[in-house]
Amino acid sequence: MSRFTLDQEIRLVQDEILLLGSLVEQAILNSVDALQRRDANAAEEVYSNDRKINAKHYAIENHILITLATQSPLAGDLRFLAAMLEVNTELERIGDYAKGIAKVAMRLADSEYPIPIREIQQMADLATSMLHRALGAFVAGDIVAAYSIPEEDNKVDELYESTYRKIVEGMINNPDTIELGNQVVWVIHNLERTADRVTNICERIVFIVSGESVEFDVSDDENRDE
Amino acid sequence: MKSRFHLRILWPFVLILVVSLVALILLFPLVQNSVSQHALETGGEANYLPIFSLVFLILAIGLLVGLLINIYYTNQHLTTLEDLTFAAQELGEGRFREIRIPEDVGNMPEMQDLANALQKTACQTEEQFNALNKEQAMLSAVLDNMTDGVLIADDNGKVQLLNEAAERLFKIESEQAIGRSVVEIMRHYSLVELWEKTKNGNPETITMEMGSAHKYLQVIGINLEKDLPGRTMLLFQDLTQTHQLEVIRRDFVSNISHELRTPIASLKALSETLLDGALDDPPAARKFLVRMDSEVDNLIQMVNELLELSRIEAGRSHFEFQRSKPCEIINNAFERMSLQAEKAGVMLTKDCPQGLPQVNADPTRISQVFVNLIHNAIKFTQKGGSIHLTAWQEGNTVVFMVQDNGAGIAKKDLKRIFERFYKADQARSGGGTGLGLSISKHIIDAHGGQIWAESEGKTGSKFFFTIPAAVV
Repeated sequence: MSRFTLDQEIRLVQDEILLLGSLVEQAILNSVDALQRRDANAAEEVYSNDRKINAKHYAIENHILITLATQSPLAGDLRFLAAMLEVNTELERIGDYAKGIAKVAMRLADSEYPIPIREIQQMADLATSMLHRALGAFVAGDIVAAYSIPEEDNKVDELYESTYRKIVEGMINNPDTIELGNQVVWVIHNLERTADRVTNICERIVFIVSGESVEFDVSDDENRDE
Repeated sequence: MKSRFHLRILWPFVLILVVSLVALILLFPLVQNSVSQHALETGGEANYLPIFSLVFLILAIGLLVGLLINIYYTNQHLTTLEDLTFAAQELGEGRFREIRIPEDVGNMPEMQDLANALQKTACQTEEQFNALNKEQAMLSAVLDNMTDGVLIADDNGKVQLLNEAAERLFKIESEQAIGRSVVEIMRHYSLVELWEKTKNGNPETITMEMGSAHKYLQVIGINLEKDLPGRTMLLFQDLTQTHQLEVIRRDFVSNISHELRTPIASLKALSETLLDGALDDPPAARKFLVRMDSEVDNLIQMVNELLELSRIEAGRSHFEFQRSKPCEIINNAFERMSLQAEKAGVMLTKDCPQGLPQVNADPTRISQVFVNLIHNAIKFTQKGGSIHLTAWQEGNTVVFMVQDNGAGIAKKDLKRIFERFYKADQARSGGGTGLGLSISKHIIDAHGGQIWAESEGKTGSKFFFTIPAAVV
């Protein structure tokens, strides 16, 4: 097997990962947009598009496994392919979060529930911007960005806390909104988790570049939602 | 190359031959005579050795002379050739200004022709080169100064060209982008799909929103197969601003329908109740009519504000500018609003420093701005809160401020609150038409001043506006 073929395969997988990343990124933004416009059709579209994301996820997994089996990569290449396998899974999970938000958007489409949409949009913008830059840093092997992006997770966490309190206050003042309010809590929870998954991707960047496994200080415990 | 024989190169040999022959012819009889004489004198046989020696000597001298001539000419040729080669190299490397072509190459017509040809080539190449440079500079100036982004990729999906607008759009420098895959640069599946379709001969135009920056783009795929085989061009037009205007317009229509619907629905409900028998109960009927009256007042106020806004926006509103004292404006606003503030349980205070310059303003309009700002402050300040009015001088303007310790305004709303119908707190559906700040902004604009708001989270807000001081 030639070096050229391996390089080419790695580059192809890398492009596929970036494409999946952009699909997932847009899915999150579109789901929040559907929530804001209370547009059930748009939410439905995000929901059904998750199948595309899943299909892409499996195709990439396949591609990586075949490359591993046929090219026998070593050292940096092996680390990169192994990391991509993991990033692939992280992206698929973020896709699921978008699907979850779309599901809530469908339920809330006909309600008058006062969604704290500004905060939600802000969280979505922050999380997707982190995701976008993290994937860029991933292909570029940018370790500086890998260390700085997870710091932004704090902003998302802060927004999560304040919005959560706002929603709970609303529930206390008006118990009729408990059910829908609970749904909205799921939305902000999913966005907060998205940012956490981005920090996982950043950990992978450090792994590729240095071979070390680091754990960024994420303020929550990993088992909370699973 | 076809080989030709240049007779001219024979002339040194001919010269040597001729000289040798002449020398022989001239010297031969002399030598022969002396040989014969010597033979006669000595009675021996004629010795022809000196004759042969002579012939050899002459031939040897001839050869030597020929060799020297040859060396001289060959050297001259080689030197000229070297100069010309050097000039040709300079030409090849594009250093037209440094080329030195030997002007006089001596008596060597071929070399002269070559030098002339080289000179001509250098001139022509420089001209063409300059013309090309100029054309390229023009093209890159056009490319870099156009507001639309341009990206050209080859059939392997590698970026070949990226102009400045595209650099800004994708946040990457052209040098870093060239040679990398379109996926890596554009980072959006819709764009990659469009590129693939265009490459396969199905160019399309799409509109899309890009990422968390919420850029609104129209992207046109152009297949360059005819001019540049295998190349595909994507043209990016930034429609973010147009889209924002469209959103404002849409919000405006939906808001105005909503705002009109509320009082009309109350009116309808009240009139129906009256028709259904409430008329027969005079006290209740009166109560209903009072409410109807206030709803109609609301409607009238809104329609008036809308008309006012459209008049100001169209520049048809009439302003009566006069020299006015800032403190009078503040006192006037204070008196108009103090009762309302008292009712809401909010403390309204003012202070106005002495010696402020007079301003060139329409007092009625400015007072309207103050009333709008104080009205808002009262609405967003809880009972027991306070509102403070003040003014000071800054350069050639007077700055007015309305400060409250109410709910405050989120940072991202600060810029938008001056839009028509924009309400920072969407949950608060009642109260106000959402036009007050928009009208205030237009009034201050017409005065040549500025209006803005500052807020530090939930500790209250400050609204400022400036009016230029009147020229003394």
